[in-house]
Amino acid sequence: MAKFLLRRLLQIIPVLLIISFIVFSLVFVAGDPVALMLPDDASQEDVENLRESLGLNEPFIVQYGIYLRDLLTGDFGTSYRYGTDALEVVLDRLPATLELAGLALFLSVVVAIPLGIWSATKRNTSMDLVATGAAVVGKAMPNFWLGIMLILVFSVMLGWFPVSGRGTFLHIVLPALTLATGIAAEMTRLIRSSMIESLSQDYVRTARSKGLKRNLVVYKHAFKNSLIPVITITFLQTSTLVGGTLITETVFAWPGLGQLLIQSVYARDMAIVQASVFIIASLVILMNLIADILYRYLDPRIKLN
Amino acid sequence: MKLNFKKVLGVSLMSVFALGAVHSLADVENVSAQDDDTLTIALGTDMVTFDIHNHVNTSTEAIHINMFNYLFKRNVETGEIEMDLAESYEIIDDTSWEVTLKEGIPFHNGEILDSEDVKYTLERVSSDSTLLEHSNYAVIDEIEVIDDLTFIIHTETPDPALLNRLARIGSGILPVDYIEENGFDHFLSNPVGTGPYQYVNWIRDDRLELEKFDEYFGGDISEWENVTFRVIPENSTRVSELLTGGVDIAVNIPPSEWERVDDNNDTYLAQTDSNRAMMIFVRHTEGWPTADKAVREAMDLAIDNQAITDHLLGGAGTPTITRVSPGTFGFAEELSDTYNYDPERARELLAEAGYENGLDIKLHSPRGRYLQDAEIAQMIVGMWSQVGINAELEFHEWSNFVELRNAGNNEDAFILALGNSMFDAFNALDWYDYERFEGQIDFYNEELEELLADAAQNMDLEEREQQYIEAQHLIAEEVVHPVLHLESINMGVSERVDYTPTMDEMIYIHTITKK
Repeated sequence: MAKFLLRRLLQIIPVLLIISFIVFSLVFVAGDPVALMLPDDASQEDVENLRESLGLNEPFIVQYGIYLRDLLTGDFGTSYRYGTDALEVVLDRLPATLELAGLALFLSVVVAIPLGIWSATKRNTSMDLVATGAAVVGKAMPNFWLGIMLILVFSVMLGWFPVSGRGTFLHIVLPALTLATGIAAEMTRLIRSSMIESLSQDYVRTARSKGLKRNLVVYKHAFKNSLIPVITITFLQTSTLVGGTLITETVFAWPGLGQLLIQSVYARDMAIVQASVFIIASLVILMNLIADILYRYLDPRIKLN
Repeated sequence: MKLNFKKVLGVSLMSVFALGAVHSLADVENVSAQDDDTLTIALGTDMVTFDIHNHVNTSTEAIHINMFNYLFKRNVETGEIEMDLAESYEIIDDTSWEVTLKEGIPFHNGEILDSEDVKYTLERVSSDSTLLEHSNYAVIDEIEVIDDLTFIIHTETPDPALLNRLARIGSGILPVDYIEENGFDHFLSNPVGTGPYQYVNWIRDDRLELEKFDEYFGGDISEWENVTFRVIPENSTRVSELLTGGVDIAVNIPPSEWERVDDNNDTYLAQTDSNRAMMIFVRHTEGWPTADKAVREAMDLAIDNQAITDHLLGGAGTPTITRVSPGTFGFAEELSDTYNYDPERARELLAEAGYENGLDIKLHSPRGRYLQDAEIAQMIVGMWSQVGINAELEFHEWSNFVELRNAGNNEDAFILALGNSMFDAFNALDWYDYERFEGQIDFYNEELEELLADAAQNMDLEEREQQYIEAQHLIAEEVVHPVLHLESINMGVSERVDYTPTMDEMIYIHTITKK
């Protein structure tokens, strides 16, 4: 186990290096931050002076080298926009995003597990059609559109929830629902198909023939064996969640990492973009690692090595 | 592991409520716009920084204007420059201005404003070339302190626009003792000024909270005890917040949302012209078709400016022939609120220039930078095609657009909308300076160069004003760059407050009153 963990942790280093190179290259070719910092009528001389003072006149490889050197000492650089340490700004936003993503993931699980099981046990009935239909619609709705629709209906028309911002518990409901819808839909479909497969297994037939109660067969025998793909998809949703927060946080003015990343990409704030992606990538890798470890406990046949 | 559907559901629901309860208890205070003493304003982007010298961002200055004071201020109605922190001034010679401060002006931390504060502030921005506002203050050589309240501003060259310069972004006066004692980083997180509002809290990309400063030297000028600036990037969300009473004022309402704001009983749309002029900049480089005056005139005459403002800007915005806007020093009134439109004459001019079979050009345009920029560019291309100008339209992301121009890779024409925070014609007409945009525009007119160079340092203000008016006529006759219109400022306002936006795009809290 310790060997496995060490190996997986060491694998993170090259992955993060590759990610940092890709992100650095993309932001580099996307445009010049100086153009966005100066007034619209800035002269070429103004542009050159600022580039010089920010060290942006160096060739790409030199800039990347300097970035890597600083990274090794834990220095992500200084944000152009905020004038402060980039990592500090990013970590400052992380709790808001974790709060939103955590609740969204939780809501997804709460909805998807019963709905998926119910849909599988009522297979090919009209109820199943409604559930699977709802899952398809949920998956098909873009976060951006869904968020605006929820605001129009529940905030503007009904006045039940605040429109935007982070404040009371009511503030988090609509963004969490927006983020959760697509994930819940995907999980519902997966749980349904996984349960259908489990329910057709011999041990289920055996359990039923022994006269065990239906609920016991469904929840103890079939569902437990369907959990592995469910856990996989749940943990893999981390990256989907991060993608979702970029849009959802912007629509709902939720002051988290997603909104910060979007604004920083627009402003070519390289230090913030790099620090954000680094933190997000670390989170995704960590979640995958936890998923791998959980498999081991759920299915002893899976060997970690 | 024993799983039971009802248990799973029960535990799950309980957890949701528990999470909610914990969250609510640990909550940050939610400020409601409906609080009688709190004004809430929704911005599209967050304030950039409290370093007043290191940003060029109008919406940031719109907040700072309530926390810091300039030495002089521009009367938004008359355009006159008035005293603010300054009590009086006297021009000693062409490069020396003696200024006396009002006595006993307190900063938010209790310090009293003196000449050393002014010296520190203005010399910081005039000497540090890494600051974004430096180029606008580089003309200041030094501040000579005479006594606590008196100092002399020495300029490198005569600067007749100095008062305008000292009444805009970068001129707020900072407390030198506070900064030297605590460091500039401390100042950035705990800013102190002399303005009617003082800093309370800033949660980046969420909200900035200010409270009234009771010791403000100008007295009790505002009806609001607290002000919250909220950041809501998405346009439709910002409008929804306004409609539901979540905010009192929402800035930058796009035309697609105007109806929603105006049709709602509790809100109204407040519009006014800005001093941002949208223009088509063309190449005067030898060999390009646009170097020919007849072609430029044809391009201008083919455009129905009023149709653009009527159909794409909902009737807001004002067609103009000059970039210099009303309220600006050197404004040529006769060139404003008018435009040239004669497609028939445009066709004749093209034929005279040798393009009777049509002229192919390229038009570069940013997308999403200015109000309806992409739509306006498309409409112009349509209007040009009616007279035989076949324009290939190329849209650019902003930073690529800037790089394209700075590298001199722009082709025949490009669209820009430029503001003028100095409200002096000097700032608006520097695009006609050959050297400044050599390789990008290449416009050269000896008479105009001399006129503008002379006006830039002419301390005889009456003569200077006439020089700028003459320059604008010359520019209009040469059709150097066809000018389209002044953009409008569009804000959504709650019926519980009275507010008219001002041309300078600043948000003066004390001008917003309760109904």
